[in-house]
Amino acid sequence: MRVGRILFSWVIMLCAAHAWCGETLDRVKRSGVVNNVLINTYPPFGYIDADNQLAGFDVDVARAFAAKLGVALRLATPGWETIVSGRWQGRWDICICSMSPTEDRARVLSFPVIYYNSPAVLTVHASEQRIKSVADISGKRVGVGTGSSYENYLNKALVIPGASPVAYPFHDVLVIPGDEAVNFRNLALGPGVRLDAIVSNLATARANVDSIHGLKIVGPVLYAEPNVVATEKGDPEWDRTVNRVFTELKADGTLARISQKWFGQDITLDAH
Amino acid sequence: MLTEAPESQSSEEAAGARGVPRAPTMRELGLKTGRFRRNVWLTWAVLLVLLAGGCYGLHLDFAYVGQKLPFLLGLRLSPDGFIQGAALTIFVTACSMFFALLVACLTALGRLSSNSVAFAVATFYASLFRGTPLMVQVLIIYLALPQIGIVLGALSSGLIALSLNYGAYLAETIRSGIIAVPAGQREAAMALGLPHWVIALKVIAPQAMRLIIPPAGALFVSLLKDSSLVSLMGLWELNFLAQSYARASYHYMEMLIAAALIYWALAIVFELVQFRLERRYGKGVAVLGRL
Repeated sequence: MRVGRILFSWVIMLCAAHAWCGETLDRVKRSGVVNNVLINTYPPFGYIDADNQLAGFDVDVARAFAAKLGVALRLATPGWETIVSGRWQGRWDICICSMSPTEDRARVLSFPVIYYNSPAVLTVHASEQRIKSVADISGKRVGVGTGSSYENYLNKALVIPGASPVAYPFHDVLVIPGDEAVNFRNLALGPGVRLDAIVSNLATARANVDSIHGLKIVGPVLYAEPNVVATEKGDPEWDRTVNRVFTELKADGTLARISQKWFGQDITLDAH
Repeated sequence: MLTEAPESQSSEEAAGARGVPRAPTMRELGLKTGRFRRNVWLTWAVLLVLLAGGCYGLHLDFAYVGQKLPFLLGLRLSPDGFIQGAALTIFVTACSMFFALLVACLTALGRLSSNSVAFAVATFYASLFRGTPLMVQVLIIYLALPQIGIVLGALSSGLIALSLNYGAYLAETIRSGIIAVPAGQREAAMALGLPHWVIALKVIAPQAMRLIIPPAGALFVSLLKDSSLVSLMGLWELNFLAQSYARASYHYMEMLIAAALIYWALAIVFELVQFRLERRYGKGVAVLGRL
């Protein structure tokens, strides 16, 4: 009997803690700190710079966000799977982390605002003759980041909420999910040695083409991928606050300035 | 210590010819001679030079490695003021070793216990944690526990996962060491009327230690490297920093090799400690094959 009562009181306590954890806005207001998660291995969006500090487009945007909100910023860099699996349970408040919205992710996370658009492109070895555009990748080995939206694209399963359907002018592609950095190394070994091509975003592709010799970007842009800010589900008031702050950052030119600094162009232009 | 026996062929033959039983040579006893030792060091040196040559052949950017080394070694603090790099790796490993040892001793006692519940709990725990992948355990403790209201930090989740996993393995090592001590030892001690705790601590434990230390040392070296799994939760340990720098700068090989060498250096320290302990607990036994 007593054990039952103790268990019961535990359950009640846990439920109470759970409900309390959902109040992201309250937590941020009370603590004066916003906890942002991002990726430490995704240059130039998020990486560790020469001074051992987190840096990149996403870091600057997060700083601007916290400053506009009037709170301090704390950054965390857990594994990508940890972030996209949701159920943060109050560990983090927001993810300004170049996330593309997919249906699967929408089940566990909210996307209060799109903050930039990133074109997806096809990269091949410089001496590649057979692949001139994405229409030529049928039956070829194509590398993508594990769990990325590019993997969904090659599997013809990419649904961007609120956007028109994406075209898939290929069939029977051998999708090779892996680590993006390792994929680019593999592609540089030669056409078809380990990979025939890679689908990634333009900024990543360009950075790799510039630093690893023997790669080139081919064909037109595959599709424009919106990148969103993600929050934990269950606090619409926090989502509205995030949306409002980003609208202000866009209106006063902060986002455009950060984009110019990192990319020499405004990738936040068409985002809404 | 045994002194070196004469090895010259002629003197042995001469002794045999006179019909006097000759003393066994160092080699026959399985002991290492001075020449053996010298050749070991020489071979190590040659292999090291070959390895260094292989690394040199990769045309690595050593200046970049030098620039990142203080961070990798953990001589500086991370941006949020916590230890990082190899220092954090050592910290995580040391803490996990300590807790794993505690858990392992309890589990080994449970496995040897005549109490059915203690036995069942110990075997269930050991089976569960040895039979599931460490990476899955790390993620479950970090991601699943919050759903029942227990939100642990990254560091504590990692320590719990590593301690529980290695505790399960270590328990078997300890148990095997204890049951390998001949039953006659315990019986003799009991016949002398020694109390139970004296038998456990002064008779069984020292003899079991000799058998436990080599496999336990191997486990701890393995734990040192598996500590890199806590990077999954965003702890800035050695492997995390190496991967981050590698991707930010596209100096992939440099950072991976640097991290590997640092892990190796740490593992060598572990091996030396293990060697010392082995020698200490092997004192009472004529140890063959000792270096």
